[in-house]
Amino acid sequence: MALPVLICDDSLLARKQVRKSLPESFDAEFQTAGNGLEALAILRSQEIGLVFLDLTMPELDGIGVLEVIKAEGIDCFVIVISADIQPEMKKRVMELGALAFIHKPVNEEKLHSILKQYGLI
Amino acid sequence: MSTLGFSEEQRDCLQEIINVAMGLASDKLARFLNTFVHLQVPSIALVGASHIPAEFENRYQDTEAALVSQGFFGNEGVRGEAIVLYQMENAHKISALLGYEVGDVSEIEMLTDISSILTTTFLNGLADQIENSLSYSAPRVLSSAKGDISSLLKNTSFHWEHALKVDISYQLIDHSFNCDMILLIPGEAVTNIQRILDRILEEY
Amino acid sequence: MPHAWLCSPILSQLNSGVIVVDDEYQIHYLNSFIERHASLQLSEVQGKSLFSVFADLPEAWLKRKLMSVLDLNTPAFSSWEQRQYIFKLPHLRPITSSSQYMAQNCSMLPLTAEHTEQPLICILIEDATDAFVYQQHLSKTLIELERANRQDGLTKVLNRRYWEEQLKQEIHRAQRYQHSLSMILFDLDKFKDLNDKYGHLGGDFVLIQLASFIGSLLRDSDLFGRYGGEEFGIILPDTALEGAVEVAERICQAVAEYPMLFNQQTIRASISMGVAELLPKQHLLHDDLIRCADMALYNAKRAGRNRVCSYLAGETEYQKKVN
Repeated sequence: MALPVLICDDSLLARKQVRKSLPESFDAEFQTAGNGLEALAILRSQEIGLVFLDLTMPELDGIGVLEVIKAEGIDCFVIVISADIQPEMKKRVMELGALAFIHKPVNEEKLHSILKQYGLI
Repeated sequence: MSTLGFSEEQRDCLQEIINVAMGLASDKLARFLNTFVHLQVPSIALVGASHIPAEFENRYQDTEAALVSQGFFGNEGVRGEAIVLYQMENAHKISALLGYEVGDVSEIEMLTDISSILTTTFLNGLADQIENSLSYSAPRVLSSAKGDISSLLKNTSFHWEHALKVDISYQLIDHSFNCDMILLIPGEAVTNIQRILDRILEEY
Repeated sequence: MPHAWLCSPILSQLNSGVIVVDDEYQIHYLNSFIERHASLQLSEVQGKSLFSVFADLPEAWLKRKLMSVLDLNTPAFSSWEQRQYIFKLPHLRPITSSSQYMAQNCSMLPLTAEHTEQPLICILIEDATDAFVYQQHLSKTLIELERANRQDGLTKVLNRRYWEEQLKQEIHRAQRYQHSLSMILFDLDKFKDLNDKYGHLGGDFVLIQLASFIGSLLRDSDLFGRYGGEEFGIILPDTALEGAVEVAERICQAVAEYPMLFNQQTIRASISMGVAELLPKQHLLHDDLIRCADMALYNAKRAGRNRVCSYLAGETEYQKKVN
């Protein structure tokens, strides 16, 4: 069964890059969101298994989304894909319950190994 | 931006590449300066170079400001001039972070060092993403005098048709440091950059 | 690489220095330019510390630069304008340059070793002695130009424009600190007759001689300028009227007793002088002070020349003009 996946990034290019970096064998049904508020609307109304989440976005940023997911107990995996790659930021993200923290530009091998690690492929 | 023929997709692509370049640069800077850099999304705009002086006139009117220029050139006709503008009090803050002591080096050398680090870390991150590599000319201080920033910018941007204005704000955890970076890009280089953006867009 | 063979001859012929060091500052390579200028052999210094081979290097400063190259993987630069040289090397223009060492522009570039992936730094050293020499000439010329801009071409005293500027400043200073200030205006007596008798060259000769002679009688702080054809002015800071009159009397007498030899003929000249002191309530502008000194000067002329007259407070009109 296809996994419901949400790609949340304000950049169209970045959303496409994420999708392109996923292995062909990855069986998923994709939805996209251009900011944090759009993402929450989808997360609250549908079952989403995995979220690829950008951090710097208009309206509501990725940290804000993670906080709501944690507070409301929304059940999903979150992989943060960020241009802000400082160790401090990674620490914050992991404390908020993200599965992994990936640097932009996305390294395919690293992404695949994380997906494999959590049994998603 | 539309006036200069960038499509919405091209603009989005350039913004993303610049964001990622900023991220890479901030990370390097944070490690080098041993502090946390609060990253803000740089706002970009492509404008006619003749509009640049007036835009910065107000911001630097009543303060001692410095202007440092550094040329860059790479493959596929990517070339231009990076200008870093900042207020002198900010320069003193970051020089302390860089470990300079008062009287250690001349003010001009301090300015060229800071600007070169900011410019080259950022542009290297940008070049990596478009599979390019850049060479740089030595940085040059054009002024550290009070007030006269707009006439200096006028002289500097005179030869260029377009300017990619990247407003960068570096905020360090214990210190706030702001500067403006302007990338001046000649007309044909803008076309070359568009071609590169289109190629990236095609890949996805 | 099809053109790899070119590297070696070009590196050895290159008119710039190339030094490659690793992340522990050990020398991996230097080209012939450095070998020749520093009298070194690559084989002798390979593997040695850069700072032991070049003992005069600004070590702390250079290490900080090199560290930023390694840490940030970005180039660093140094210009002769900020640091004239990093490596003490002789240059090729020992005669035309006043500097002993080669002025340098240096670039420090990040490199990676081919097989070991060890980080390396390439230091490029460009000879900027020409630019340095050029810059020195330029600054010298600018200083001369500035002097020429202040000087009267013929007599070498201050020109009128600069002298009047100085007068404005001195008046401002005197008013601010409540110091006294006086000025002397003087004029060569019967200069037209001198010109008629000895020609314009003779007239010019007298102006030059007297300007130089009178200049030698003044204090360093006095400001001596040419006001017009044969008219001169002296600003005397910190001097009240009485003192200024004394100075004027001394000059007037000395000039009358000063023979000048021109084309085997002895020329004697005399001057008429007007002295005025700055009166805070009356002299609001520098023109007012000049006008008062001018009035006194004409009085000196009218009273028979070769003498000093001072301006008396309250005088408002010129006496009948005489030559």
